[in-house]
Amino acid sequence: MRNKPLSILLAAYLVAGITICFTGTEVAAQENKRPNILLIVADDMGYSDLGCYGGEIRTPVLDKLAQQGVRYTDFYVSPTCSVTRSMLLSGTDNHVAGLGNMVELTSPNQVGKPGYEGVLNERVASVAELLSDNGYHTYMVGKWHLGMKPDQIPHARGFERDFSTLVGGGSHFDNGWNISWQIPKMPYTEDGRPVKKLPKDFYSSKNYTDKTIQFIDEGRGDGKPFFAYMAFTAPHGPLQVPNDWLRRYKNRYDEGWDGIRHKRLARMKELGIVDKDANTADRLFFLPRSSGFTPAVRVMLGRSMEIYAAMVEYMDDQIGRVFDHLKEIGEYDNTVVIFISDNGAEGNNLRGMVAGQVGTFGFLHAMNNFAEDGHNSLGRKGTFAEYGPAWAQVGMTPFRLYKGLVAEGGIRSPLIVSGPGVKGAGELNKKAILHVMDIAPTILELAGIEHPATYKGREIAPMQGKSWVGMLNGSTQSPRSSDDWLGWELFGNRAIRQGDWKISWHYEPFGSWDWQLFNLAEDLGEQYDLSNEFPKKRAELISLWDEYVKTNGVIIGSRSPFEQANRHLPNSVTEYDNYPPLRGLEALPYETLLELMAGKKKGGQ
Amino acid sequence: MTKVNRYTYLLTLLGSLVSILSFGVTALAQDDGARAYWSARSGSQMFSFQYLPMNIGASDSKEFAPGQYIYPNANIDVNVFFVTWARHMNLFRRPSMLAVNIVGGSVNANVNIKAAPEFLPPGITPGTAFSQSSSGFADPNIQLAVNLFGTPMLNSNVDLLNYEPTITLDAAVMLMFPLGEYKKDKLINMGLNRLIGRVGFPFKWHFGVFSPGYMSSFELMPSVWLFAENSDFVGKKLENDPLWSLEGHLTHDFAPGLFASFDMLYQSGFQTSVDGVEVGDKLEIGNLGITLNYNVSDNVMIRTEYSSNVFGSDNLETSVGRLQFIYHWSTPDVNFKKLMGGN
Repeated sequence: MRNKPLSILLAAYLVAGITICFTGTEVAAQENKRPNILLIVADDMGYSDLGCYGGEIRTPVLDKLAQQGVRYTDFYVSPTCSVTRSMLLSGTDNHVAGLGNMVELTSPNQVGKPGYEGVLNERVASVAELLSDNGYHTYMVGKWHLGMKPDQIPHARGFERDFSTLVGGGSHFDNGWNISWQIPKMPYTEDGRPVKKLPKDFYSSKNYTDKTIQFIDEGRGDGKPFFAYMAFTAPHGPLQVPNDWLRRYKNRYDEGWDGIRHKRLARMKELGIVDKDANTADRLFFLPRSSGFTPAVRVMLGRSMEIYAAMVEYMDDQIGRVFDHLKEIGEYDNTVVIFISDNGAEGNNLRGMVAGQVGTFGFLHAMNNFAEDGHNSLGRKGTFAEYGPAWAQVGMTPFRLYKGLVAEGGIRSPLIVSGPGVKGAGELNKKAILHVMDIAPTILELAGIEHPATYKGREIAPMQGKSWVGMLNGSTQSPRSSDDWLGWELFGNRAIRQGDWKISWHYEPFGSWDWQLFNLAEDLGEQYDLSNEFPKKRAELISLWDEYVKTNGVIIGSRSPFEQANRHLPNSVTEYDNYPPLRGLEALPYETLLELMAGKKKGGQ
Repeated sequence: MTKVNRYTYLLTLLGSLVSILSFGVTALAQDDGARAYWSARSGSQMFSFQYLPMNIGASDSKEFAPGQYIYPNANIDVNVFFVTWARHMNLFRRPSMLAVNIVGGSVNANVNIKAAPEFLPPGITPGTAFSQSSSGFADPNIQLAVNLFGTPMLNSNVDLLNYEPTITLDAAVMLMFPLGEYKKDKLINMGLNRLIGRVGFPFKWHFGVFSPGYMSSFELMPSVWLFAENSDFVGKKLENDPLWSLEGHLTHDFAPGLFASFDMLYQSGFQTSVDGVEVGDKLEIGNLGITLNYNVSDNVMIRTEYSSNVFGSDNLETSVGRLQFIYHWSTPDVNFKKLMGGN
């Protein structure tokens, strides 16, 4: 009897000890549990479209994600989609990964050259392949655009489950017409097999979300973490949205692009995205002021922007469905979410490029599939709406130019990162200069995976991107030092950024057919060429360009979709030393012309 | 049916036919037409010329005493024209339309009659074909339609661009004035010698996309026709009960400027009384038809219509064609000068 209290005490200690022991094991297990990765990519979405980046488009889900995570102002992608995607999945430069040029626009002198395969090549291992081999479920939905042969499709490049379209764009609805007449219907694959028919109620963003949720649910049983790559095709043209969303922004853009851009800029300054005294880009030289239009014209021109905005909001809504589901199944808090856009907003005339001239196959394809027209029809499944360069520049506020070009308007993207291990909820990081190549090494580090030197018996290129993990956990502000630099080349347009300095080379009239030097800290809009004031800096950056070419095997294309831009656009300045732009060129030998276009000679005279 | 003497019966039968005929010039077996109540920009105007060849037949025969038959066997040919001017405007801050119709043409009626002479009007011989005709202007009418629901004021190009109707409801009032050709001793007249009014509520459901080439609509026009008495109908007083009417159209664009419509018209009522005595049966008729419209240019439309009855009291048979030319104009659309010149 006297020992009873002692026994109770001992028993209590024993229970407590066991509890502490089990709890400690559980905590350790949770700490060791690798995070899920949800990588969300919007297609052709502008830098300033999201509410958390100053846009008037309603994006409550992504705005909330930004409150939980961190936004970054200086995140770079490539000027076009497939090129960005090759870097996103490989962690290295596009000229190494096989997308030295878009496959659709490969120049004659690039055909057959390493790095210009037009697909994610064998010189790289995709992040999905590495994750899949190291205990992750790997899912993909949406746009692939990195190869269509059986050994090039998502299922062959590391995604165990997929519902993907292999091409660059097309109808967002079940009619599924492809932009290009050469493959009239968009090829879709599901788990590596061709999809014969899309469901009747198909709409890209909705069905991609359905599939993501389905894949996550079906893979949950074994407790493995997942890597889900949601490559939305919204808001890539054709601008289309389900009928009940068509008028969600009715008359929201009637005031015209100048007013909307002005308001966005004001909000961006309020949010701190743009410094209050920042020098931003002027309205592009070939665009009229919107206040010069009659109200009716502004209504007509605003309609396509209304549809675009609805597409962005719809996508945001669908992302919300995925977040809600992750919360329901208890996985949200263990999921790192990365949200980006793949390039600048689309200001080119894609439909015009596709439909070609009257009587061509492209024209007939357009007539058969997307010839429905009329102000009130825009955005439906038989239409091909685009919003043009003026709204694209709004999307890229405060920058100059848009998709396809290496000005900031072509290569800046919003970036939001949130999830376990991401410190500084709600903060805005303006110090870090980041690149889409960084995402693969970041994911691998989060997953505790080393990038190998060989993969499946072949040597693979090292990743050029820099992991953000140190930045995400707050130990550094940026993965790059002031000596680090970034390079771009696409369609012959090229750029280097080091610190605040940037040089870029564009075809006229977007550039001068020569290097231009900008200081982004003082001239975010790339308005003032400082080449004459800082020739040494210019020369330093040009030498980095030479290094970039050498390191990555860059071949300047003998043809470029921008090479004749100065024939259908006015001059960016009224007078310059090469004016008129074609003076003397007609008489040049073809080889000399090629050299001019390749940048080996200064052109115009 | 109230029993009446044979003479009265004959008169009323013929009278009814004639009333039907005269009434038909503007209403019977003749609808307002597809898309007649679609809204347009305030200030826009329309001028229309319609030609309508119409045939009305009544093959029924009546025996109202042994050996005494009326063989109406009426065959009535009508050739009329409508000249219409309409203007869209705002009334009480609602989109409205005022339309004026001038009607004219000719009517020929052939009726076989077998009856005792004392029962027949002067000049009609029993057992022979009775034939009478009339030509000239019929009664003109004026109509006002005001939108009650679903259509905003359409004052500018901006309003038009933003106009995407779904369900709309209008109120329409028409008055037909007894100004047409009328001779009191004739059964056949172009004018009706009495005031006629109509109250209707045009209802439209626009479905699909409200964009040229893709528009579709379902339209209903319930209405009631009200008739004042004709106190000088071959010396007697002619009265008619209200006529209830339901007109329907299912329209669809097959291309910009090309639409077709499936048309329906049902009418019931119009019980005739002569000198206070109800005679004959009330009218009941149902028509089906089709309409084709083609926009020759931005301002000119050509419309054709054919309809025929699928049932009708007194074995009434109608067959109506219509060829219509419409010219409409408005303030100029956006042009390049305006585009570049600002507001």
